[in-house]
Amino acid sequence: MSSTDLPVPATERRWFLGACAGLVLAAACPPLRAQGRGMAPVPGGPAAPALRLADDDGKLVDLAQHRGKVVLVNFWATWCPPCRKEFPSLARVRRLFKPAEFEVLAVNVGEEPDAVFSFTGVAGFPVVFDRDSKAMAAWSVRGLPATFLVDRDGRLAFRATGGREFDDPEIVATIRRLLVR
Amino acid sequence: MSKPSVAARRLLWLCLAGILPTAELAAAAEWRHRASQRGVTLTANPLSGASRVAFYEARGFGTGSIRPYARACAFSLGMHNSGALPISTHLGDWHAVGADGRKVRLRLPGTWEDEWGKAGVPQAARIAFRWAQFQTENAFEPGDWIMGMATLEAPLPGKFRIVARYRDKKGDHEIVLDRLACAGD
Repeated sequence: MSSTDLPVPATERRWFLGACAGLVLAAACPPLRAQGRGMAPVPGGPAAPALRLADDDGKLVDLAQHRGKVVLVNFWATWCPPCRKEFPSLARVRRLFKPAEFEVLAVNVGEEPDAVFSFTGVAGFPVVFDRDSKAMAAWSVRGLPATFLVDRDGRLAFRATGGREFDDPEIVATIRRLLVR
Repeated sequence: MSKPSVAARRLLWLCLAGILPTAELAAAAEWRHRASQRGVTLTANPLSGASRVAFYEARGFGTGSIRPYARACAFSLGMHNSGALPISTHLGDWHAVGADGRKVRLRLPGTWEDEWGKAGVPQAARIAFRWAQFQTENAFEPGDWIMGMATLEAPLPGKFRIVARYRDKKGDHEIVLDRLACAGD
């Protein structure tokens, strides 16, 4: 009996069809010609909401432990085409700065770590899981992807909704300005 | 939902590995419907029921529970604010107009979510659904863009247009996407 004769369990079929549907939807949802540009200042610079979530090993990652650094917090999901498109730029911008002064936290929304790891591999920055989307609500996220720059004092400084290339010179300059504040 | 076997995960990985080149192809693709004014661009592509069923079943919906959504006339919408002013939208202000002049509202995501609650759809599936939709209330700073799925309250035969309203500090404005049609399966 060849492997192709083996019956395919329903769960496997569902995952396979779902992943393929993701491809179809990606083709049906082309990004606009360009990603968005820049990030908008957050009026008043309020304190960033708490963010304490587990990574794929179950280890808790707390935004508060990065106080003193500028932190880019990115809310995303693998099924969101602009999230996938911008994801590699998170690693690129992370490499432009010293680990002691800048960090990236990617907050995945509502997905299984296995499915997420298949996409991220070793991301080079913490990827944490907001399984019940309560962190999204606390951060007043209105759509995916959503990104925030938290300053060294733990305040929300800039935000962006929709895809970006985070190593774009305009965003890099914004981060540099926050670092010298 | 039970975890997939190692074989299924490998299969999924292979499929997902194909997403990046596919996304690149998609990036080169065009939205089929596009309209702009005052630096605000609205785009749309029809979405087939079959692709929506497969997408949401993979995220925990049962075949029966997603059926009403799959039967609806659906689109992927994208909105980009490349103007200088912040803008906001409320999906309840948008509508479609058929060739015969009949007006149909867009169905708000919350209406679907009420159905998922009654149908006992798992939380993870409901979260994926919620954030895959074009949100009821949106705010766009200059440079922002948002995309998501949207459905009509009722199908319209033939060609129709979508009238989308947005607001900035100067007042209310409309963008019209013309010659749309529901996707056929």
